[in-house]
Amino acid sequence: MNIVSTYTWCQFAPAFALVGLAALLILADALLPKLPKRAFAFIGAMGCFVASYFLYTGSQPNFLGCIAAVATGLSILLAFDYTKICCESIAGGSNEEGTGEFYALPLVACAGILSLTQARDLVMLFVSLEVITLSSYVLAGYFRRNQGSIEAGIKYLVLGAMSTGILVYGTAWYFGMVGTFNLGHEVVFTAIKGGVAASPTLAVGFLVATAMLFAGAFFKIGAAPMHVWIPDVYQGAPTPTTAFLAVASKTAGFIVLCALVLPFAPFCVPGSMIGKLLIWCFALVAGVTLIIGNMGAIRQTNIKRLLGYSSVAQAGFIMVFFLNVNSILVDLVGQYLLAYALATLAAFYAVAMVRTQRGSEEIAAFRGLGKSNPRTAFLITVCFASLAGVPLTMGFMVKMYSFVAAITAMGNWAGICWLLPVMVITAAMGFYYYFKVIRAMYWEKAEPGHKALQVPVCTGIVLTLCALALIYLGTMPLLVSMG
Amino acid sequence: MIPLAHYLILSGILFSIGLAGVLIRKNIIVVFMCLEMMLTAANVALVAFSRAQGTAGVPVYDAQVLSLFITGIAAAEVAIGLALIVAMFRARRTVESTALNSLKD
Repeated sequence: MNIVSTYTWCQFAPAFALVGLAALLILADALLPKLPKRAFAFIGAMGCFVASYFLYTGSQPNFLGCIAAVATGLSILLAFDYTKICCESIAGGSNEEGTGEFYALPLVACAGILSLTQARDLVMLFVSLEVITLSSYVLAGYFRRNQGSIEAGIKYLVLGAMSTGILVYGTAWYFGMVGTFNLGHEVVFTAIKGGVAASPTLAVGFLVATAMLFAGAFFKIGAAPMHVWIPDVYQGAPTPTTAFLAVASKTAGFIVLCALVLPFAPFCVPGSMIGKLLIWCFALVAGVTLIIGNMGAIRQTNIKRLLGYSSVAQAGFIMVFFLNVNSILVDLVGQYLLAYALATLAAFYAVAMVRTQRGSEEIAAFRGLGKSNPRTAFLITVCFASLAGVPLTMGFMVKMYSFVAAITAMGNWAGICWLLPVMVITAAMGFYYYFKVIRAMYWEKAEPGHKALQVPVCTGIVLTLCALALIYLGTMPLLVSMG
Repeated sequence: MIPLAHYLILSGILFSIGLAGVLIRKNIIVVFMCLEMMLTAANVALVAFSRAQGTAGVPVYDAQVLSLFITGIAAAEVAIGLALIVAMFRARRTVESTALNSLKD
């Protein structure tokens, strides 16, 4: 089976539609310079929402793609209220020139994520992944008058290109060992036996190639030791881009990881050497990611950097699901990502609002919000409480699923029982640093000169919807199971 | 006829030089050249494997298709990278990676 006959055109219809919309926006940017750039943000976001609706109601619901599309739409919409900062950091002053692509590029990246969800072979996987990363490099370095943004762009590009190099070298060796780019059970099955010739050299080569592919996926999700780029890039990149990287790009990483792991499902049973190796690797990566993410987050004072380390920590909890490779893996990962996406996007809306009006991204800028904006402060509290995993929020439910997954995995592999205490301790650490923001809002006095925030319409709607969804999805399963 | 192993050794050497350069060198332009070398290593391996996996002298073209994609993506990456380097040089008057120190814990 060759690459072209694996796919049909209509699988990629949503991706094509988004690329078309992005092309139209870029043309409009060149031909209609008078059109305000806020319209671009609005059209782009609507395009993403429409695409996510069709993904959700389509004949084969694509849940992860749907989350990515909604997240992209919301991060474009975030730029809607952020236009003032965008203009200052791109062209200087209130000049809107050259800011159009900032709203069109996330659409291209989103198209990459949507085609990634359809990928059944490594060529499609690699090309879609590069569509996402190349647009993200531009977006991360887009604020060219801002030192932090340029630095974030260069750091992201160098480390990202290095991980691409490793991934693509792994792809070459994968092809060399099995003679095809397909990711299927039977391909993996024959390869681990050493191919038709049953040669151990081929089997080892195949495992090394797979390890390189996993390294590429770990980079995208920010699992240790490939997480080094996350704090710097999240802090330096423009806030809408950071929101995109934290949610949509991370979803893409998990799509890749699922696509790479699922062919190994028949081996992930007790008694298999390959399964033991794989599960131990995942357990180690998950444990180290949890420790590094949570330890790093504790001493942060910059909110974007804190959310960066938080995203590393949350990736650690999602990694735990990969200890049970079975058919519900994708659903569990999707659930966790949904809880993470709702809370994180809302948090970034709050960060953007505070940055626009108080000019700072430090946690100290949140001081006194509890008094001056009680309603907004409550919504932000719900989001951070959900990230920490307070009961009655969705964050608690999904964290519980993660613990259940760890306990189930321990039934099969007794050797990884050290992971459970690590999870308990790191989850407790999470309470400390997420509540730093909540404490700043309620228990600390506002800095002199900081007035009450004017909540923009978009930010207000998104914050309310996200907080409501987090509470609803966190309480509904309990009510259903009781009544 | 040159055996497959020679191509693979060449690609392994290219990949190692590239990876070592990315990790060691301080000048970002040199780092970019090393990144390109890593992608080239994959291209060499792919084209060699496409020959080796073929039957009766007909290579498996899938691998060569991927190597074309890699070349295209490498070009796009360099375009973005050089643009960022120009922006960095304008802002800091240097292209050393040691100057990238404004974001830290």
